[in-house]
Amino acid sequence: MSTSSVSEWITDQREQRTLQDWIQDLGPFVMLFGLIIAFSFTTDRFLTEANLLDNVAKNAVTLLLVALAGTFPILQQSIDLSVESMVLLTGVVTVVLISEFGLGLLAIPIAIGVGMLAGLFNGVIFTKLKVPSFLVTLGTLSVMAGVGKIITGGSTITFRNPAIRTISNGEIFGVPNLVLWGLLIYVGTIVLAFRTKFGRYCFALGENERVVELAGAKVDRYKIYPFVLSGLLCGTAGVLLTLRISSASPNIGSGLMLPSIAAIVMGGTALTGGVGGPHRTILGVLVIAVLNNGMNLLGIDSFVQEIILGLVVVGAVALSIDREKIDVVK
Amino acid sequence: MASQTHTNATNADQPDPTVGGDHSFRVEGISKSFRHVQALKDVSLAVDHGEVIGLVGENGAGKSTLLNILTGVLQADEGQLFVDGEAVTFTNPREAADYGVSLVHQEQDIIKTMRGYENLYLGREIERLGVLEKEKMRTEAQAFVDDLGIDIDVDERVRDYTFNERQMLEIAKAFHVSQKSENPVILLDEPTAALEESGRQILFDLVNDLRDRATFVFVSHELDEVLQISDRIYVLKDGERVADMATADATTDSLQKAMVGRETADEYYRVPDQQRETELGETALTVDGAVHGDAVGPVSFSVREGEIFGIVGVEGSGKQQLGRLLAGDLAITQGSVSVDGTTLQSPTVSEMVDAGVGYIPKDRKSEGLLLYQSVLVNTSLAMVRDMNGNVPLLDLDAERQATVDAIEELSIKTPGPNALVHGLSGGNQQKVVIARWLAQETPILVMDNVTRGIDVGAKEEVYRLCRELTDKGVSIVFIGDELPEVIGMSNRIAVMANGEFVGEAIDASLGNKPTEQDLIQEMI
Repeated sequence: MSTSSVSEWITDQREQRTLQDWIQDLGPFVMLFGLIIAFSFTTDRFLTEANLLDNVAKNAVTLLLVALAGTFPILQQSIDLSVESMVLLTGVVTVVLISEFGLGLLAIPIAIGVGMLAGLFNGVIFTKLKVPSFLVTLGTLSVMAGVGKIITGGSTITFRNPAIRTISNGEIFGVPNLVLWGLLIYVGTIVLAFRTKFGRYCFALGENERVVELAGAKVDRYKIYPFVLSGLLCGTAGVLLTLRISSASPNIGSGLMLPSIAAIVMGGTALTGGVGGPHRTILGVLVIAVLNNGMNLLGIDSFVQEIILGLVVVGAVALSIDREKIDVVK
Repeated sequence: MASQTHTNATNADQPDPTVGGDHSFRVEGISKSFRHVQALKDVSLAVDHGEVIGLVGENGAGKSTLLNILTGVLQADEGQLFVDGEAVTFTNPREAADYGVSLVHQEQDIIKTMRGYENLYLGREIERLGVLEKEKMRTEAQAFVDDLGIDIDVDERVRDYTFNERQMLEIAKAFHVSQKSENPVILLDEPTAALEESGRQILFDLVNDLRDRATFVFVSHELDEVLQISDRIYVLKDGERVADMATADATTDSLQKAMVGRETADEYYRVPDQQRETELGETALTVDGAVHGDAVGPVSFSVREGEIFGIVGVEGSGKQQLGRLLAGDLAITQGSVSVDGTTLQSPTVSEMVDAGVGYIPKDRKSEGLLLYQSVLVNTSLAMVRDMNGNVPLLDLDAERQATVDAIEELSIKTPGPNALVHGLSGGNQQKVVIARWLAQETPILVMDNVTRGIDVGAKEEVYRLCRELTDKGVSIVFIGDELPEVIGMSNRIAVMANGEFVGEAIDASLGNKPTEQDLIQEMI
């Protein structure tokens, strides 16, 4: 077999898409449309503009931002488990800055800055002290939730400032601002992933850090950035969420971590790093948002919803995971 | 996969009485295709008891496919395997092992955190009521390796073994899995690729000692080794058996001719193109008393523009560490490096790349390439560093252009810039590593065994490329284990021992080339 015929054979192999490939690429679409059709027939309200915009889309935005935040650490083969605590912390900080300190709009960049600092902390401990990101962020998941809850004093805190609320609550041509923010940030992360050095290094680091290092990249720096970005996006999510409801409870953001990771993996970003990207994370987010909304409309018990969501997550991951790259699953 | 019906390994398919039963192992007319590409075409070979057979061919010649068929990993479309005259079909490696056929992998296939005997019995543990009989396995395993004349302590953990001991354990394992058979057939797939000189000799001695107890099939790129160890040599080319020669009648030259199917020079450094030397320019790289702990130094030398500076030495001589030090990957604890007049005290990799030094590591798979990324991503990995000045955006057009140019210039055989590197042959993969530095016109290259594990044709292309680069004023630090290659390529050669240069660098300009013996004397 000559070398050229080998490469022909390889191209041939690539073109011969397996069922697995199709499931991976189309799975989330099929699932999304399947759910939409199912809920359209089983409920009256699902396919109404009010429901789709106010419930599905608005609720999806928080999950979308958190899932986009989690995508970059996973792309470089680490993970950020502290996402939901960063939402809590920044949400609480937003409310306190507006209500206690009367900072108004200035509260927003400060709260987002707090998120970025939290992410920086994660990234520095992970990179410089060489603690696995899984453990660092598992720890800070608890630490930051604790700090946030202490600030609230254990009960829901609120602010009154209708002007600031419009940032999240207003609408342009009938489209909620919240949704517009979500789309804007979504496009931004795609640009980051595919058009910047940062994005390129995320993919490359996710596959083999040594290679990137020997190619002359300042590896430590590029391993920290995804965590800072994660803090930034979670901070944004925390701000938008609290502005929307003008309050922050000690439980705000809780329960976001699992569905966000599920959405990332469903979208095609492998936990083993190096493949996927934020552009597809939105599919996983929509599947989960539609599923949640549909189950609510059908009046399914919330505990039963938890069971169904968990099963869907495992099932979706089992179908979509890229096994070609993984020899042994641990 | 194949339309053929599989017979169970234990059911003999009416052995043809006319074919001799004196061969321990025989394959008749094996063909195998993957879709429209024929990987093997009517390949036959026969191995006698106690013979050592060499199997050579370029990358992609079908060696791996053949080994996979012999060990039951793949099934042939046509053809038949015979063990001791009995027709057999293997559907998995275990059935092959039951007939005594086993493979020692190119990459070591043992679990480092486990003990020697645990590896030996892996998957075939002795149990009693579900409990491992450790003592029994340990004593039997020790007796087993002692009997083979392999000097290892099976109770030690494999991670505490030396590299050579691990290789010995692998061979013991091959014997162990095939012990049901009277005449094991051990297939050695490039067993020396990762071994240093001393390890190779130990391996060859072992094969020689065991040749009356097993039949060996030795697959290697190193033709010298094949000539040294085999009795007979089969050559594969494009899936066909193109030669079957007694070793006594074969030379590296005749083997290469058969492998490549055209005239090649056995001593490549005498190829006219390599013979030419480049006019040397200014001093490009100066190393001044550089030390890294106990491993390297103090070492001082300088390399001029257009010069190839060879570095040789035995395992542990520090030549590999010196390469890493020049890459910025190992810290310079004393002394300094100057590139183009700028002195760097203890540079990082990033600073060395900035200064204009690119490093090509020995192991391209673990350190050189992002295997599951595209040729484009791999090629542009270094140039993206300072693309667009301080703007963090990628210049996608520039990347693509650089990649397309590199594919053309290095004649990288790839379906396109977006194909994954994983699917390319070894030689083409290595060219991608080189392309990375070419794409950003790096003036100084540090190459550690740049032709390791690539076939003859690709090696020649790499030599030619190195010469073309030096013509453009690029300086190359050429670290190598293959002495003829280093001698042929270099203008000067430094011999390393115990982390330091042995005397001054040897003049290796045309007409003054040292012999291998000259270098070996200095190395030991």
